[in-house]
Amino acid sequence: MIHYELMLLLRVMPKTELKTVLKRTANMIFEKGGIIRKLENLGTRDMPYKTSVHGVVYNKASYFLYEFNVPPTSIDQLLDEYGRDIDIIRRRIYKKIEPEQFECTLDDELKPPPYRKDVLALVEQSKKGDKPKFKYNTGLDYYPFQK
Amino acid sequence: MNSLLRRVPSYSIISNNSLRKLCSTDAPDFNMENPFEKDKQQCILCKQNIQVDYKNVRLLSQFQSPYTGRIYGKHITGLCAKQQDKLEKEIVKAQSAGLMATYLKEPVFLQDPELFDVEKPLRPHRF
Repeated sequence: MIHYELMLLLRVMPKTELKTVLKRTANMIFEKGGIIRKLENLGTRDMPYKTSVHGVVYNKASYFLYEFNVPPTSIDQLLDEYGRDIDIIRRRIYKKIEPEQFECTLDDELKPPPYRKDVLALVEQSKKGDKPKFKYNTGLDYYPFQK
Repeated sequence: MNSLLRRVPSYSIISNNSLRKLCSTDAPDFNMENPFEKDKQQCILCKQNIQVDYKNVRLLSQFQSPYTGRIYGKHITGLCAKQQDKLEKEIVKAQSAGLMATYLKEPVFLQDPELFDVEKPLRPHRF
């Protein structure tokens, strides 16, 4: 199953109300046959930009992060349901990124163009389009005919 | 020429031979790697082995202009192509999720240390 992350911005509200909203949002995942791996409170703070949803302009939000597994077909339904919830200001679902090991190519990129691997590949590719040259196969190092 | 050879004592020739034998074991190996080759340069994220994540807004905002909120290019940040690509994608994700400002750098991050000199890009700006 694919690991997803849900970023929820909820409107600022008292604890009891917040509890019911969180329960509601979590239940939606369970209804789709999902599993919640983690629920994290990222705090209440000013948003970097104001958002107007459901006819109200919000400047502050409570940030919550869900980590969950759910069948990929139900992601659209989840987003749609969260979009209709008036306590939710913003919601985004991203795939969880796995740490990836790769070679740093900075050294190659800093070389002058004719030494760079990508430029060399381009030069190779351009040679492919050249017209084939006729070979006389005379074995002579000069052109024997009149030009 | 003969007189010259006669003047050279015989023991000196023997010692020369033995010296050569000694030297032959210590002859320079020309197939060795270039000992003067410089270390491979690495970008700051690869060197510190940092995974770029959209939730790490403090790190992402260090690659953002404080005046326009735009992401600095590869020639300014000094990152390798892959890291820069990942960084740009994560910044877009963070901005979309409402974690990061789009038209400015958030004032709380303005005092953060600079990872690169904006005034000294690797390649000249195109504007």
